[in-house]
Amino acid sequence: MSVLVDLPPHAPVVAPGVTLRSLSEEVSNRVLRPGAPPWWWIGFGVSLALLLTLVVAMAWLFINGIGVWGVDIPVAWGLAIAEYVWWIALASGGTIVSALFFLTRSPWRSATNRIAESMLLSAAPCAGLMPVMHLGRQGLFYWLFPYSTVMGVWPQVRSPLWWDFICLLCYILMSVMYYYAGLLPDLATVRDLATTRSKQIFYGILALGWRGSARHWRNQQTVYAIMSAIMAPMVISVHSVVGLDFAAGLTLGWHSTQFPPYFFFGAVISGTALIIMLTIVVRHGYRLQDVITGYHLNAMAKIMLVGSVMLGYAYLWEAFGPLYGSDSAERGAFLYRIFGFYGAAYWAKIALNVVIPQLLWLPVVRRSETLLFLISAGVIVGMWFERFVIVIPSLSHNYMPSYWGVYFPTFWDWAILAGTIGLFLTLFFLFLRLVPIVAMAEVRAIVENERSK
Amino acid sequence: MSPPFGIIGVFTTPDALKDAARQLRSLGFRAVEAHTPYPIDGLDQLLRPARRQVALPLIMFAGAVLGGAWGYFIQYWDEALDYPINVGGRPHNSWPAFIVGTVEFMLLVAVAAGLFALLASCRLPRLYHPLFNAVEFDRASIDRFVLCVEARDPSFEVDHLRRIFERFGAEQVAEVPAA
Repeated sequence: MSVLVDLPPHAPVVAPGVTLRSLSEEVSNRVLRPGAPPWWWIGFGVSLALLLTLVVAMAWLFINGIGVWGVDIPVAWGLAIAEYVWWIALASGGTIVSALFFLTRSPWRSATNRIAESMLLSAAPCAGLMPVMHLGRQGLFYWLFPYSTVMGVWPQVRSPLWWDFICLLCYILMSVMYYYAGLLPDLATVRDLATTRSKQIFYGILALGWRGSARHWRNQQTVYAIMSAIMAPMVISVHSVVGLDFAAGLTLGWHSTQFPPYFFFGAVISGTALIIMLTIVVRHGYRLQDVITGYHLNAMAKIMLVGSVMLGYAYLWEAFGPLYGSDSAERGAFLYRIFGFYGAAYWAKIALNVVIPQLLWLPVVRRSETLLFLISAGVIVGMWFERFVIVIPSLSHNYMPSYWGVYFPTFWDWAILAGTIGLFLTLFFLFLRLVPIVAMAEVRAIVENERSK
Repeated sequence: MSPPFGIIGVFTTPDALKDAARQLRSLGFRAVEAHTPYPIDGLDQLLRPARRQVALPLIMFAGAVLGGAWGYFIQYWDEALDYPINVGGRPHNSWPAFIVGTVEFMLLVAVAAGLFALLASCRLPRLYHPLFNAVEFDRASIDRFVLCVEARDPSFEVDHLRRIFERFGAEQVAEVPAA
């Protein structure tokens, strides 16, 4: 194939040799085989070690208070908040791929949506931990719940920070339910393929007795379609409200009406990037190259490219506003952001999120898994820089010169970052081991459809 | 020997299953159910043309309305009734600020209502079902299309059904013991 020729529009989604039986066995065996492959143990071991870092870092934080981080006045929001936004964007990407592209009936969604949703359920707890750790008095975080305590303590529900809390809470609960509604038929397949008594009982209970009757399917299809139609705008609202946290603040560089969509664009690109990386790992680790094909990666690479272009547009307006406007403080803050102490982070985000992903216009790049993996990794790092640039330089260069100062992350800041990556990977590796990682029921329909073509 | 739960025919293609199901309907069988590894368009309508679908979308809509009302009320109760604080002269019932919470609760309850309505309408969880007694039934979740006629059907007769299943190309026909 030539460098510039894209996949034909009717390219096969799954490899021609895949049958209903081979699909079910290939996918279920990853869950049912007695021992996990060596790469799984290595990955899981490293993840657990990182998770231990989180435990230690959190213990140190709870004992000593958030002073162990580099945060101080004027920069009172440090890495924890930047990483909260980063994690929630990665999680949101999972719902975008799974719900939005269910509604468009895109065939590539079916083999990757379980990876996407497992990623989302692994990333959302990391996001949720960040603001809780940042509270200062972590033990009182339950005061955010809107219930009438005997103390008569209520949260201030007019605050965007509370909106954010309620969005994240509802988002996680809804994602679990959405995940389960789609997973139920696949759990039944695993139950029926299980050979040991303990696994039959375990998956039998999880499958709730699903029998795949015509009535079951009809009800499941109805509810799942409506759930998707709810989840798609829901995830946009979640990440837009994160944007509102900033837009509602009067700090320079935050007080901008473009923040909600700007944040959502970031979720599209970074979430897709992480799904691409995990898909490549799962596809080779579990030898599922026949089910998860170049078709899927090609489609997701295009989504990432769209995200990159949208994000570039947002960056353009982020620069145009202060430079064209008449507010000298805004302009000064923006110039500080791009040329000041943290300037390198700004240019890193431009390079990694907007410039390098333009390579994806070339079909040859979308076909190369190595390049896709590297570009995606670059995007994830670039998005981390973007969140850093939004949160920290803005606080360190506010209106009053007396209020200027720099922040630098300490060892414990980095330990929390490493630790949450450990939490994410640990959960994801458990998902890999315990649930079928491809939505078999949906791919079966694609297999049959292609056979009859 | 106690009477069986029913009889199943195992088919290799969805089309064969549909043909057999159509024939059974026209012969007057009513306690017929199909079990397939993936959703087949129109199968439920073919088996039960007269029966109305459970109003799942309506249940989810009702959940959304209730959830929205609940979400708004919590915030109204908090800010206007139980603990009113005057913030710069803004009204206690400052509804634009309550919209986010209202929408999130609305969607949460709608999705929860959907999940529970799905399980209830499928009569799940039901961990034990007589069909699981048939070894042949296991493949209904993998690569076979299974048609089951239950013994409670007035015209149930094993040999007759066995002949019908075989005429439509059933790979296997098996009786399902009741317990």
